[in-house]
Amino acid sequence: MELPLSSLKNGETGVITTTDFKGGALCKARAKKGWKKHFMTEMCIKRLTDLGLTPGTEVKVVKSAPFNGPLEICVRGSTLAIGRGMAHRILVDVKR
Amino acid sequence: MSGDHFTIALAGNANVGKSVIFNQLTGLHQHIGNWPGKTVEKAEGTLHYKGHTIDFVDLPGIYSLSTFSMEELVSREYIATEKPDLVINVVDASLLERNLFFTLQLLELETPLLVALNQIDMAEKKGIVIDTKKAEQILGVPVVPTVAVSGKGITEMLDLGIDVIQKNRKISPLKPRYGKELEERTEALIKMLDGVDLEYPARWVAIKLLEDDKEVQNEVGPLNSKIVKTATKFRTELETFHGHSCPTVVTSERYHLANYIANQIQTITEPIKTPFREKLHTATTHKIFGYPILFATVIGVFIAIFSFGDFTSALLGDFFFGLKPAFDTVFGTDIIGQLIWGGIIEGIVGGITVTLPYIVPFYFILYLFEDSGYLSRIAFLMDNLMHKMGLHGKAFIPVMLSFGCNVPGCLGCRIMETTRERLLTAFVVTLVPCAATSVIILGLVGTYVGIPWAMALYAINLVIIFVLGRIAFKALPGEPTELIMEMSAYRTPHLTTVLKQTWFRLKEFIIMAFPLIIAGSFVIKLAEVANLLDPIANLSSPLTVAWLGLPAVTGIALIFGVLRKELTLIMLASLFGTTNFALVMTPTQMIVFTLVVMLYIPCVATIGALVKEFGWKKALLITVVEILLALLVGGIAFRLLTI
Repeated sequence: MELPLSSLKNGETGVITTTDFKGGALCKARAKKGWKKHFMTEMCIKRLTDLGLTPGTEVKVVKSAPFNGPLEICVRGSTLAIGRGMAHRILVDVKR
Repeated sequence: MSGDHFTIALAGNANVGKSVIFNQLTGLHQHIGNWPGKTVEKAEGTLHYKGHTIDFVDLPGIYSLSTFSMEELVSREYIATEKPDLVINVVDASLLERNLFFTLQLLELETPLLVALNQIDMAEKKGIVIDTKKAEQILGVPVVPTVAVSGKGITEMLDLGIDVIQKNRKISPLKPRYGKELEERTEALIKMLDGVDLEYPARWVAIKLLEDDKEVQNEVGPLNSKIVKTATKFRTELETFHGHSCPTVVTSERYHLANYIANQIQTITEPIKTPFREKLHTATTHKIFGYPILFATVIGVFIAIFSFGDFTSALLGDFFFGLKPAFDTVFGTDIIGQLIWGGIIEGIVGGITVTLPYIVPFYFILYLFEDSGYLSRIAFLMDNLMHKMGLHGKAFIPVMLSFGCNVPGCLGCRIMETTRERLLTAFVVTLVPCAATSVIILGLVGTYVGIPWAMALYAINLVIIFVLGRIAFKALPGEPTELIMEMSAYRTPHLTTVLKQTWFRLKEFIIMAFPLIIAGSFVIKLAEVANLLDPIANLSSPLTVAWLGLPAVTGIALIFGVLRKELTLIMLASLFGTTNFALVMTPTQMIVFTLVVMLYIPCVATIGALVKEFGWKKALLITVVEILLALLVGGIAFRLLTI
């Protein structure tokens, strides 16, 4: 099942399917509701992939900060914090 | 061969212990400055070893060699154009895959390389065992296990490095090769690049063209535009084939290779037990407990800094002012004597006694936190709040610093990724009430009006910061960026490195702020000696008396406050001839006065920091905006409070 990284539960693991970060259904639905559009700039994509978030990579969501804060994720053995807006746009394949 | 002069560059990811190695190698023979024309820090140092003179350059901690950050650009330009005799790639042994991703890029730059497998002890604790021999075979360069904090392996690393430079040890660095589709197109581009004169290796240029690297395109374009066009065509082909954008394809291929190599040379077993540092991480980033821990830490630090500062400041003050009678007998108490003492010496003494006792422990604790890894946890917790101002979690660090002093706050804005965010953060930072402002809030309003009012002023200030931050965020063109940050494992800070960082920051602070404070004191003393203060007070009375409802002398106090904000209170006491402000000012006047002092202008040292980081125009703009803001807020407060 393809879901945005932000919708994974704590401790869940997914495999990145796309890093062109157009965002999934959730993101589009929210954009319709008038959510402020966060663009994934080329720079963001490059920084994410440089840190190891390339397509096909396993990502584990460790936990998320409260009040819609950033996500703590585990990629290739390193611990990263990434903003929630960005996590909405990273699509992962999850077994549920 | 001895008595040679070498240059060795240290390169690697952030948080791998690179600066600890740099400190171990160079001791106090260091020079910290900026890369020419950039706000990226450049650390250089010299070592005399076995008759050789070795210059070390500590490159910024980065994850890649693209052009999306100044640090990356500076690093790759340095390696390609300055051609150091050796690049030591410091690698975190417990995070091999991601670190090798960077090593591969250094190999692509075809620079003489040595790999230092640092923090090998931490890796072992995590259950990671690395086969160094195999790593050397695969990478084709010397690989040395090191533990930077204890100095283990540093000498071996250095000896091997010199062997490589002197060609006593032959190296045959790995030539990274990627997937078939990518390789075919890279080869084709290399053929086309034959005869094109560039500083960089042809293969590196070819790959960078496929990565859509704008800098390389700008360099190759004018020499041969056909190559750039072909690269664009190749990119489209690769994108259709792989289904991802071409830069992502290249990055994936590199990671694929890094993953392969990492798996070849490391064996991972289960760690024995959950280390304490992981428990600490869980607690300090906990969604409920993380905040009280953060709050208690920050409050604790400020209490510690203030008690230390108060004590030392009083001690130093007594000492210096004890020298005044001796000074008077030498220089006399006429105008010249007054100018020298009141203008210059008091400026220096003020700087030493008031600023240093607070700044030194402040920087020390800051670097202790940074080195241990706590700062990134704070950024993680505060990300959401900062988002409301269009900033991300990292911006909370300079804001937090500013409660101590705005100057480190302004300089701390460098941690932000884009110029836009740096400026936005700096604007917010200069509105934060620093320690000196707190002295006035608590000493005037807190003492004579009441603590609830003092707290209310803090609250008002925070609201103003928030509202203005939001307005500035909407007004400044550009896209907000989001938090992307590594939270590397907690580690014991390395005391010598922390002390050195404190020392270099302190030096920077003194060089920047002291001349401004001294020059400022001198100018004001001159005005005082020339009896210009009263005319100034009269001149500013339409603003101070009519608009803000304050006593006319506050005009003078406010001018002094530009030097250091706590001077407003000291001047007020001497102008009124009493320290019992209740006799000379109404509570409303105290509140309005404090509000104005909180906002009206960044002090000279802060303006100096702003000029250094952003240039004259932006520093002036921020200053003017804040003067207007202070007048507006003060005027409104006066009218509201006298209804």
